Amino acid sequence: MEPLDHVTDIESRRMELRGVVRLAGEVIAQYWPMRTFVHHNPLHSIEYLPFEEAVKRGKRFMGGNGYLPSHLYREYLKAGRILSTHLDDAVKPRVVDKHVTLGSHTVAHSSVLRACLAEGLCSPAMEPLDDQLDDPDKPLINALAHKLERVLLPFSLDDRIRKVVDENQSALCRWLTLSHWCDDTLGTQIVQQINEQMIKWCGAFLDEGHATWVMPGREKGLYEAWKAMASHEWSPCGIKDSCRKIARLPDHPEDALLESLDALGIPSELLQDYLSLQLTALPGWAGFIKWRGEERDYPWQQAFPVGLVKFLAIRLWYARELVHQVCKDHLDIDGRYEAVMAYMRDYPEEYYLRRQRVAGRLPALYAEEVDRLSHRKGQSWNNILTRYRTEVIPRLQAAVRRGAARRLLALAHSLNIDANALAESAPADLKQVVDWMEAFPESDHGPVWLKALEAGYQEQLLGHLHARTENTASSETARPYSQSVYCIDVRSEPFRRHLESVGPHETYGFAGFFAAFIRYRAWGKEHDTEQFPVIMRAKNEVREIPRSYLDHKVSLHAARAKWVHAGHTLLHDLKENVVTPYVMVESLGWFYGLPIFGKTLIPALYQRWTAWLRRLFVPSLATTLTIDKLAPGETAEMLEAEQQAVIREALHEQLGLRSFRITPALVEGLRQRALTLEGDPEPPIPAEEIERVGLTPETIDAFVETLRRQYDLTARSASRHKERLTRTGFTLEEQVLTVDTALRMMGLTKNFARLVLFCAHGSTSDNNPYESALDCGACGGNEGKPNARALAMMANNPKVRERIAKLGITIPSDTHFLAGQMDTTTDTIQLFDLEDAPPTHRADMARLQEDLKEASALTSQERCARFPDIQQVVTETEAEAQVRRRSVDWSQVRPEWGLSNNTSFLIGRRELTKGLDLGGRVFLHSYDYREDPSNRLLEVLLTAPQVVAQWINMEHYFSAVDNEVYGSGSKIYHNVVGRLGIMSGPWSDLRLGLARQTVMSGEGAYHEPMRLLTIIEAPRARIEKLIARHDVLQHFYHNEWVHLVALDPEERKWYRYRPDGTWHPIVIP
Amino acid sequence: MDLFIPWLLTGVPFAGALVCLAYWSDPYRVKISTIVWSVISLASIAGVAHRLPTPSDGLLPFYLLPIAAVVSSLGQPVHENHRLSWTMTLVFLGLGMGVLTAGNPFGTLCQISLMLIIMFLLYHHHTTLWPISWWGIGSFAVGIVGAGLSLASEPPLSSVASLATCAVLLPLMPFHNGYLTALTRLPGSLPPFIVLLLPVLGLHGLATAMPTMPNEFVSVVSLLALVSSLYGAIKALAQSRVRLLVGYGSVSFFSILWWFVAGAHAATPRSAVLAGAVGLATGGLLVAWQVIRTRYGDDVDPQAISGLATAMPKYAVLFSLLGLAAMGIPPFGVFAGFMGLLLTAPPSSTIGLFIALTAWLAASWYIMQMVQQLLFGARRPDLRYADLRRPEFTSLLIVVLALLALGLAPTSLYSPDQTPNTTVAMERPLAWNR
Repeated sequence: MEPLDHVTDIESRRMELRGVVRLAGEVIAQYWPMRTFVHHNPLHSIEYLPFEEAVKRGKRFMGGNGYLPSHLYREYLKAGRILSTHLDDAVKPRVVDKHVTLGSHTVAHSSVLRACLAEGLCSPAMEPLDDQLDDPDKPLINALAHKLERVLLPFSLDDRIRKVVDENQSALCRWLTLSHWCDDTLGTQIVQQINEQMIKWCGAFLDEGHATWVMPGREKGLYEAWKAMASHEWSPCGIKDSCRKIARLPDHPEDALLESLDALGIPSELLQDYLSLQLTALPGWAGFIKWRGEERDYPWQQAFPVGLVKFLAIRLWYARELVHQVCKDHLDIDGRYEAVMAYMRDYPEEYYLRRQRVAGRLPALYAEEVDRLSHRKGQSWNNILTRYRTEVIPRLQAAVRRGAARRLLALAHSLNIDANALAESAPADLKQVVDWMEAFPESDHGPVWLKALEAGYQEQLLGHLHARTENTASSETARPYSQSVYCIDVRSEPFRRHLESVGPHETYGFAGFFAAFIRYRAWGKEHDTEQFPVIMRAKNEVREIPRSYLDHKVSLHAARAKWVHAGHTLLHDLKENVVTPYVMVESLGWFYGLPIFGKTLIPALYQRWTAWLRRLFVPSLATTLTIDKLAPGETAEMLEAEQQAVIREALHEQLGLRSFRITPALVEGLRQRALTLEGDPEPPIPAEEIERVGLTPETIDAFVETLRRQYDLTARSASRHKERLTRTGFTLEEQVLTVDTALRMMGLTKNFARLVLFCAHGSTSDNNPYESALDCGACGGNEGKPNARALAMMANNPKVRERIAKLGITIPSDTHFLAGQMDTTTDTIQLFDLEDAPPTHRADMARLQEDLKEASALTSQERCARFPDIQQVVTETEAEAQVRRRSVDWSQVRPEWGLSNNTSFLIGRRELTKGLDLGGRVFLHSYDYREDPSNRLLEVLLTAPQVVAQWINMEHYFSAVDNEVYGSGSKIYHNVVGRLGIMSGPWSDLRLGLARQTVMSGEGAYHEPMRLLTIIEAPRARIEKLIARHDVLQHFYHNEWVHLVALDPEERKWYRYRPDGTWHPIVIP
Repeated sequence: MDLFIPWLLTGVPFAGALVCLAYWSDPYRVKISTIVWSVISLASIAGVAHRLPTPSDGLLPFYLLPIAAVVSSLGQPVHENHRLSWTMTLVFLGLGMGVLTAGNPFGTLCQISLMLIIMFLLYHHHTTLWPISWWGIGSFAVGIVGAGLSLASEPPLSSVASLATCAVLLPLMPFHNGYLTALTRLPGSLPPFIVLLLPVLGLHGLATAMPTMPNEFVSVVSLLALVSSLYGAIKALAQSRVRLLVGYGSVSFFSILWWFVAGAHAATPRSAVLAGAVGLATGGLLVAWQVIRTRYGDDVDPQAISGLATAMPKYAVLFSLLGLAAMGIPPFGVFAGFMGLLLTAPPSSTIGLFIALTAWLAASWYIMQMVQQLLFGARRPDLRYADLRRPEFTSLLIVVLALLALGLAPTSLYSPDQTPNTTVAMERPLAWNR
């Protein structure tokens, strides 16, 4: 062990520490703000490990289970969802070829393991020392226990003590922090105390506009702000002299962290694990800080910097102080690694008893004795241990034998062996069976169950697909009514199926951002949204602007919107003020009754009424998108106009000048002067203009300063702004590339219909912090409407079509591209920019809208069958009303429930799946390998949409298997914190993952947690090349995060890709 | 004919005890006999109640004792170790009836016999978990001496001696050790029964002795009662063992009753409601704890058990209701008894009332903590959870219903000869309002 203080160079130590923290942070996943909820794998950072190993690491660091509880798998078995043959296949690798004889039966090892799985014989069970519960099997259990006495050697207390000490010594600082050690040994609650402090400070510091009174000094950073505030706190967590101690902490968080680590004596080789453990104590907050630390452009991060080092510096300070205090008080030792190790080594018996007491494994009398002795160390502990050895250990040994006997009896019942025959069996055989069961504890069952569950589903799905490929008719060549492209999302599958069933419509699947990587700003909004998968970056910006013929209405619309905004702000301020709420409750409180009763009793009607009112007050404007790139002159003109508008507003706000007194010359003069670089001569402002408005030169100078400081009107910001404006829109080449890529990737290169619909998706729900989780994952957790509109506008551009034709895709002149959006909660489709559609297409449009409506009703009907609160079959009309009501019901915990139950990702032609009911469980991406000779498109599909699908799949998987750790628990207790995340109740970690109601149905799992199955219709050699090229694919397939199956189009045979990199032919009956 | 009634009420349980002896080899039959004879005892009381002279504390104790006997017997699992406790439950019930129905000297002799038997059992029955307690046995010796003196001497000495016996039975510090020892050491079904039996007998004695008590002495008793209520509450807060927690908690409540009785110079039927409700709730909690002991062993550490709410829902519901009843939440009997006394016998001292209320409020801390510990928290995967069996369920349900009845039924039901004093609260403002 190398002490840390050997390293003297402080700067290199800081750098080294930052590196260690970065590595330590691997075990926690990033946490995106909830307004752009991004489904992701909570163990994403350790995907370089095999799935089973990663799950174990997740258990070790975060305490999360990686598999469903065994009893739920057993229910699947009973219900026939898991077939016995699949279970046998899954357990086969663990079976040895051995048998024993029980009575007249020969029992194989495989039968015992099978029974352990199916009957839960190996579930952990504490046999009470003495119980009096009626049990008809008790005589037999006692007889068997007596028989086992001869072969089941009694455990030795000394061995147990040694084992506990050895295990804990090796675990200390690897899987067990010193704070945890104190809690487990001394019954303290240090971890909870520290967590409470960290939640308090993180909640206050990371707030993004939720708090009325914000934490002061945030601009200095988390550590500095905490230091300034906490040094005024009186004895937090009972830490003595905390004010002085905090005030004396170093200025640099790295130094403070190093100081704490030195104080705790953490060996350098354990540093990374130790810090990982500290981070996983609050994976939500730490995950969000990790995300913010890496998003340097994020406005809140720029304003209030935060990072994991700062977080750890604070956390470790509390840990060091509390551990030291507790170790001194209870054990009279230093709260350091070496001292704790020495204590375990020197006082193993005392340590053992203390741990047993805290774990609740001592009889009440001994628990009291230990409590009495808890502040002593040494001799008196031996007395109690001696008594424990003589009085309790024999009873414990007998209980162990009874437990083994009980398992044997259950095994006999399971294998239909006469229970009395057990008593006649040879003790050695009985022991052998007991050993087999103990060697296969329930903690090892998860992987077996998972494989069996997956095998069942995969066999069924591949069977359906195989039948389809066998009977595929030649693809139709007649021109369809329409072609529509939907997001690959599993929620599109039922809709596509129904649309195809109501008329000759063709559908395609494509990642919902439609290859348009855009940063988008909606009309009237102040912030951009990133409309692309979070693993990518955009270089083009698109803005929504009112259509040019509506210019005269824009100012009126803006004014009304401003009034509405002002009203909201006023109401908010009145509610949040210290004094006004007292008056507010009396005067305005009654008015709140209207929305409360409306939303509760007549949600659908209330929603319609408020929407009408909104439209009445602020009517919507027809808009378009800035798709084309601006010319340099236009950019300068736009920039100038924006700056002038800012100056006019400033003149009004700062100097009270009315608009009629402000002349263009004055504005321009002010603009020129504000944009002057420091040191350059300032351009003059005509004196008559200054005089006309009655200002002095001093006032003008001060005003220019204000413009620079307060309104950010400087040369630098202008340059930045200009650069940004140049990013607005796409060049013609970019548009061609985007349209060409999109059409080729989706396999839509010929036989175009008169109408082609790009259909994005979004959702409607009320009182749902997870609203964005229902939106499009491929659009960064936003609605995909802008992307669909952008692509349709590009595809309708005649110049683009001209260029694309040269690339081999001829789009007929009568083909019109439409943009639409499906609301996945109501299943309705809204079409956009209809005024751009040629009048010749009116009949086609009407027919399409009619069929879309029919498909949406059928989809709603199918979805209603899944909701647990709808028992009977509903008609199409009832289904439509039902889903509409759910979308506006503020008490509805499952407004949609569409994304759960996802299982597979299919990349191939629609012919493979057309007409198949895939139950809304499969991501469908259209792909025709014949259109992709270079393999480029498949490469994109595997490294982008597949990654998104895998994240969604893993988010659901882990949220289902352990909702408390990887999910976010019940929605009932959710509270929004800082406008960035969710807490359970008033005080908790930021909740990761999905809510219980999203993935569970009652006690069982609604989402069947299985790893993603990717099915690709492409030659194997091509897929192999891509796997060899990309680490992410190797991690997915070789580490078993994703199962890969290929349909070789040349051979028409199915192959499974194995973790060792070989292909295994699949025999489908 | 009326002279025969005490003998009948005393004799029925004794007859049951004899039947138990006849079935001694079959624990199940012993248990059933205990329950059946307790029910017969209840029926016989109901049959002759109108012919019994109404004591000043009312007839409620007559009904509650057989109910408590049924509850305590039902809550025990069938096991040969419990035969003695079931039989002794009937013996205790008989002696209790004797104390309540017969005058001196037979009643006092029954009382002395009861305490002697308890002493004997305490001397013989102890475990490593609950070692022999000479303080407890000594307390009962004080009770016996007091009872003897009260029989042999004249007032006021007899009253003071009788008061000492009452303080042993209806626990009051420093005589509470007997009650606590009996509650923790007696075997099987006896603790849930004696937590009602002893206080009810104590209150009965108090009802006789209190009117003749000198005022100076009553002031001392009042002071002692307040100290005792605080002491019981504080001790309960510090306990980790359920039986001690429940025991000290009930000492605290009984001490409050002492304070009311001393203040009013009399034990009224409303006092009997409070004593009966506290005793019954305490007995119910002990039965509920017995359910845990039946599953996880006698010496299970309560801190080792958690998460019963999801695993044992029936148990969780009844245990929660019992907890609420025991801490004095409406509409259960403890609340009704407390409020009844507060409104009909306004407290003489504001400080006293404050202390009594503090002790009462403390109960919501320690009882809720116990309930939370057992019912909530993480569910241990290695524990075998088994929800209430039918007898256990019935037993706890009876307690809850009885407590509910005590809270809702009018007091005049248990004391038909006494006119309830309903106007006092309005006529005399509370002391702390003046």
